[in-house]
Amino acid sequence: MNNETNNKKKKKSFLHLLFINMFGTGKQKLSMLEEEQMQGPIRNIVKNFKSNKISMTGLIVFILIFIGVIVGPFIFKLDLSYTETSQQNVAPGQSFLKVPKSLNGKAEQISVGPTFSIAVTDDGQLYMWGKTKISKTINLKYVPKQMGKIVRVSAGYDHILALNEEGKLFAWGSDRQRQCAIPSDVAGLTNIVDIVAGYQCSVVLTADGKSYFFGNSSNNDYLTAHPYQGQLTKVAITSDAVMGLTKDGQAVYLGSQKNSYNKVPEFKSKIIDIATTASTMAAVDDQGQVYVWGNVSERGEGRFPAFDEKITSLQGGRYHYAALTENGNVYAWGYDNYNQATVPDKVTDADIKAVYTGFYQNYAITEDGSVLPWGLKGYILGSDELGRDILNRIVNGGRMSMTIGAISVVISTFIGVIIGSLSGFFGGKVDMVLQRVVEIVSALPFLPFAMILSALLGNSLTSTQRIYLMMVVLGVLQWPSLSRLVRAQVLAAREMEFVTAAKAVGIKSMTIVFKHILPNVISVIIVSATLDFATCMLIEATLSYLGFGVPAPQPTWGNMLYGSNNSIVIQNFWWRWVFTSIILGICVICINLTGDGLRDAIDPKSQER
Amino acid sequence: MIKYISKRIMFMVFVFFIMSLVMFFLYNLIPGDPARAELEPIKNTLTLEEYQRRYESLRAQMGLDDPTIVKYGKWIGGVLQGDLGNSIRYKKPVIDLVKEPMKNTIFINIFAMMLALGITIPLGIICAVKRNSLFDNSVQVGTIVGYSLPPFIIALISIFLFAVTLGWFPVSGMNTPNFKGTGLAFFVDRMYHLALPLFVMTLSSLGGMTRYVRAAMIESLRMDYIRTARAKGLREKVVIYSHAWRNALLPVITLIIGWFINIFAGSLVVEEMFSLNGMGSFYMDALRNQDYNIALAVQMFYMIVALVGNLVIDLSYGLVDPRVRVNR
Repeated sequence: MNNETNNKKKKKSFLHLLFINMFGTGKQKLSMLEEEQMQGPIRNIVKNFKSNKISMTGLIVFILIFIGVIVGPFIFKLDLSYTETSQQNVAPGQSFLKVPKSLNGKAEQISVGPTFSIAVTDDGQLYMWGKTKISKTINLKYVPKQMGKIVRVSAGYDHILALNEEGKLFAWGSDRQRQCAIPSDVAGLTNIVDIVAGYQCSVVLTADGKSYFFGNSSNNDYLTAHPYQGQLTKVAITSDAVMGLTKDGQAVYLGSQKNSYNKVPEFKSKIIDIATTASTMAAVDDQGQVYVWGNVSERGEGRFPAFDEKITSLQGGRYHYAALTENGNVYAWGYDNYNQATVPDKVTDADIKAVYTGFYQNYAITEDGSVLPWGLKGYILGSDELGRDILNRIVNGGRMSMTIGAISVVISTFIGVIIGSLSGFFGGKVDMVLQRVVEIVSALPFLPFAMILSALLGNSLTSTQRIYLMMVVLGVLQWPSLSRLVRAQVLAAREMEFVTAAKAVGIKSMTIVFKHILPNVISVIIVSATLDFATCMLIEATLSYLGFGVPAPQPTWGNMLYGSNNSIVIQNFWWRWVFTSIILGICVICINLTGDGLRDAIDPKSQER
Repeated sequence: MIKYISKRIMFMVFVFFIMSLVMFFLYNLIPGDPARAELEPIKNTLTLEEYQRRYESLRAQMGLDDPTIVKYGKWIGGVLQGDLGNSIRYKKPVIDLVKEPMKNTIFINIFAMMLALGITIPLGIICAVKRNSLFDNSVQVGTIVGYSLPPFIIALISIFLFAVTLGWFPVSGMNTPNFKGTGLAFFVDRMYHLALPLFVMTLSSLGGMTRYVRAAMIESLRMDYIRTARAKGLREKVVIYSHAWRNALLPVITLIIGWFINIFAGSLVVEEMFSLNGMGSFYMDALRNQDYNIALAVQMFYMIVALVGNLVIDLSYGLVDPRVRVNR
């Protein structure tokens, strides 16, 4: 006693107290007699569990993950149909908008690629930032040597064009469609004024209004002998077509096919600027009126706001436009999934000289030369083979995985408890029949059986129905072990006095089983359900990984790993499997730790004193 | 005893028929017309009447117009005579196709099992003897990690580490392509290719087995006869390995046989990942290509192995521990 009061007098630090309250260590140990006299079974279990540091940590981590996947989907909205070819297999990091500090005040022109941006300063220096690695061998940061003073750059889908002050053209990056192979007639030109790099193609514009095209001409609709040769002042490229602006202020289509790009609207006056997104074209006339045509989608390229100032220049991203007015204000509209069409306050407040837009990034250059970026910063955990954000899919997939696990456990616990308790309590013929059923179900080899069910039944089902199928298959095949456990417990409880007493009073058998006996074995059921939850999640993941579980595009932690089974993905796109594996592993480990801790806490025999 | 065994075998046969019936009906739910598929290649060379006539005779010949129960009767009759039907994809009897993968699976699994048992039994015993020591606690945490990670994650990590980054082992396959050696050279080449899959299979089964052995050992170390043995002054080694271990063997035997059953089903993932020509990838290929005769045959095989395995487990109780009377 003396000792204890001494201990209490010692001053404890805040952290220590916090730790004690969280994990319950450091509390005075009671002798076995005291403990059993003073505490009820539930309190005893809770106390035992709290004193187990490993299990407690497991529980806390699991709760954090659980909250993350329950709350997360409200923040990270899931769009099942979303795919974006320009954002495939992007490495983790948020460097897309990390403009080098030394560029501030000197930026002359910026050009934006899918995951990278390139800028040229007024003294001809090149700056590049973002993810420049295109493939294992192609990396855009390996700029050709001795280019001299660069005056203009253009970033395409996976290649870059640069023009030096002597009018010489340079190209580097992916050359699969010969978009970097400068033809001899272009190489001989000395009067190039503009360069545009697009998707697998490059276009060069000369001072006398002629355009030259090289690269993939089957994907891009471009007519070499188009009727506007000699009249062009600007060209712009969608992902499959080329448009031009003539000297007399007309927006013209430079291809040969008839399509929605040809439907150039009637303009009331002279056009001063043109821009394109992936599939639309836009122009602004000298009255400040904007026109958008082409394959205008649901994403909102055509829904431009009302302007009360005159627009002087127009820029197009992947699915959005940004416009600069004569007073230096910036407007943006269109697809806003990465906030690329939401102009931030710092840009609204500043006086903007120029705006550069491409794909999902925007850069505004202020009058004093500083660069203000907004839009897509990058992907914290990278992106997958269809350009989807892995973090988003982990969060949403986690919710799906846990839902499947939880519902399967509910189903299997329900079946297991009912069969186990009936079998245990009634014995005799009921027990005989039920035990044979248990044997049949437990004799089924689990994984092959679940696979054949999924393969046979799954083909005719929609993806949502297959998710339900998954839950039912897991639930219906999991219960035998629990039912055996419950049966054994009920068999023991059946002989106790309180059951005899209940029988003597004349309570119905069913009431005895489910109201009197079951609460006494509930602890075993909880432990078993916890461990089964982990098992169900694992099996779902394995099945989905093999392609027999929940089908894409609905994400689960298992099917996110589907397709990562080859050495190219394993090594080059490691982020596609590492993060998902880690979170799945941690989650299952935590559930198992919690379950083990619970079992130790409930069954003091297993806890060696 | 004989009565018990015959009762069990009767039950097994009953379960087998019930399950085969269920599987066959499931399989028949799938839409598809094998007769039409059979005739499709020569469709253009036939006149319409000729096609129709051939189609109908083929349907009759294949028994497609029979009620499902008759079809089942024909199929199960064939199965009982060792005829598992023909593969739609390979146009060969299933029984011939299945031999090679089965040989490979058994080969791989026997190695994996020996490795795993060689590690887990000593480890489990040490943990049980030194329970609650630092060693035991860290092994306990390690085993939880081990059985919580699904085999495919362990396989992904080990491919990344040992095959792709370090380049010690091949990523997949069972032999070097066009390998011509025989005898020992062939064996060495095969083991070189199987090293990584074996490693993964062993590692992924360590966790659960070690815990099992440890639990069984702790249980038997707590018994009164151990106290008696110690009180007699027996050496600790004798107490552990002769008295305790023998009595812990009962649950461990269950484990080993249980694992033997899973040999055929459990290596599905590993075989698929390392593209080994085993039962698992054979089965999965069949499911993917909708070659359901093969899938059904393999499924039936899995069922038989599981049923026989369960019987062997129950019988082995009686052999290992005479106190256990199986014929309750």
